[in-house]
Amino acid sequence: MPSPSRALLHKEWRELLASRAWWLLLLLIGPLTGMSFIAAVNTYAEVSAAAGETLTPLSGIWAPTGSACELVAVFLLPFVVIRIVGADRQSGALKLELQRPQSRLTRIAAKSAIALAGWAVALLPLLAAAALWRSYGGHIHPSDLLVLLTGHLLNGGLTIALAAAATSLAEHPSTAAILTLSVTVGTWIITFFAALRGGLWERIAAYTPAAVVAEFQHGLLSLPTLLVSLTLLLAGLTLAAVWQPLGTRTSRKLQQTAALGLITALALFLAVQTHQSWDLSENRANSFPLADELALRSLPQPLKITARLAPEDGRRVDLERNAFSKLRRLLPNVEIEFQSATATGLFEQAAAGYGEITYAYNGRSETNRVATAEGVLESIYAVTGLQPANLPEIPFRGHPLAVTPTGAGALFYLLWPGLTLLCGVYVRRRFQ
Amino acid sequence: MCHNRPAILRYVLLRVDNLSKRFGQITALENVSFEIRSGELLGLIGPNGAGKSTLFECLAGLLPADTGTITAPESLFYIPDGIAPWPAQPLSWALQFAIDYFGGNPALLPELTAQLDLAPFLAQPIGALSKGQRKRGLLALGLLTPQPLLMIDEPFDGLDLRQMRDVAAVLKTHAARGRTLFLSIHQIADAARFCDRFILLSNGRVRAEGTLAELATAPGQTLEEVFLALT
Repeated sequence: MPSPSRALLHKEWRELLASRAWWLLLLLIGPLTGMSFIAAVNTYAEVSAAAGETLTPLSGIWAPTGSACELVAVFLLPFVVIRIVGADRQSGALKLELQRPQSRLTRIAAKSAIALAGWAVALLPLLAAAALWRSYGGHIHPSDLLVLLTGHLLNGGLTIALAAAATSLAEHPSTAAILTLSVTVGTWIITFFAALRGGLWERIAAYTPAAVVAEFQHGLLSLPTLLVSLTLLLAGLTLAAVWQPLGTRTSRKLQQTAALGLITALALFLAVQTHQSWDLSENRANSFPLADELALRSLPQPLKITARLAPEDGRRVDLERNAFSKLRRLLPNVEIEFQSATATGLFEQAAAGYGEITYAYNGRSETNRVATAEGVLESIYAVTGLQPANLPEIPFRGHPLAVTPTGAGALFYLLWPGLTLLCGVYVRRRFQ
Repeated sequence: MCHNRPAILRYVLLRVDNLSKRFGQITALENVSFEIRSGELLGLIGPNGAGKSTLFECLAGLLPADTGTITAPESLFYIPDGIAPWPAQPLSWALQFAIDYFGGNPALLPELTAQLDLAPFLAQPIGALSKGQRKRGLLALGLLTPQPLLMIDEPFDGLDLRQMRDVAAVLKTHAARGRTLFLSIHQIADAARFCDRFILLSNGRVRAEGTLAELATAPGQTLEEVFLALT
């Protein structure tokens, strides 16, 4: 006889297989992934033919192809989770199942594990795209794909935790769907405010699901991002576990929710104190050259950089992406501050000092307006007196490939939907 | 008649003291106290809205009571009325789930399948079953569970006369083997035919508790007459 936990897992798996929402998600994710993949391969071919140097499949193929998974995670996956978590309450099965003494977290964990397995199956078209790319003679760097898949699994996990919490909190599935989508829209608003105002908003926006996936799409595995995501994921599942039981007073649930909020806040505070990260991209896209990294790591004093650039100024975006994010990874105690009086910077251009970047180190300072990664490094060397070691660097040549996406249309638009339909009909018939 | 059933009442299986439950301004249960003895066939009778389902849900821990204590609540299993659990799954799976998840007795499965005439629709998804078929399926699920006390909300609802007689016979068979049954029945005549002892509930309050002989104030008085006199 199987153990109760195994019986529960088996039941959840059968419920997933019986769910039309999941089959619909599978049906749609194939063509969506295919569309993104075909567009990415065509663009990659065009860029390869024009100036193929330093092109990598991670940024050229996998990131755009994976955007289909992001879309599905936001708009379709919540409904699958709501179906899995909420159906028991709607049908009355929850009243039966809750009568078996079992940890509340175990029940939610079983549902979430199955939902995550369902999401992992939905990522198969991404792997099919990788196989197709390989068949074209395309280059695959295993860690690129691994990091990307981890990012999408983590994103799926966050969506599952959010939707599970919303379903437990809400009486009705439609309310749960509105709650889930409201949180998603809320993260978009945070991103909008971050772009507009910078500062704390920018820090918070770095941990929204879209930003988390973007980090993985750049081949970066960051400990604070991982810890924050896992904390939010666990908090969502625990919240779902707190609100699922029917026989607990609302006041007790509110107390437990408040305690959970405090513990989550503390865990998040600790998580953002960590700085470890690993650049797993093939071309070290998130790092300075090795010689520069070696030199910068030897800085004994903290470095302070003040950039007078508005949040929406394109130079600030470039600086952040190409230099400052790398610097923060390398030097946890670097202090980078942006100063501006407006959000766009449009009306500040004429103001004295706007656009200047000041580097201060050990009582010395250096100010200029150079906003490239090389310029930033030179400024740091000038103010600190450091000199990078003369290490031989092997230049990254990239993997240009100009091919047409042969067979992708047939695979993603015909074979995948056809197979999904067949499997769906077969499984549902077997139940009957 | 149920009064002829051998007396196997031994000990108090469950005790309820001063249980109260309010929904906003409405008092659903008020200071409800009673006890259930092992092996008995206890009927909870009362009109619609008397608080029968609320009482069952409180006892099963599915609804928080405002006040009161329930002793040994873990010894019971409750089958609510009007549910269609796991609607996409076939009935055979649900019964197996009762064995695997709730620790039910697998040896009872063939017997219950035959007794409740479930074989023709074992392969049907629960959501596709008629009300009566689903009710019989849920009774089988409840009878498979190992808890000594089984509470069933409206066990005869949705059954025709013949099915009702068959189900009553099955429940009596299991009660005779020592399973304690606590049934909520709004048709007083049905309860009178079937149960050993009764709890009369009206407007959330226990009006009386006992066997028909204990409750009757005059010889030959029916349960319906007793209930009308008390409420």
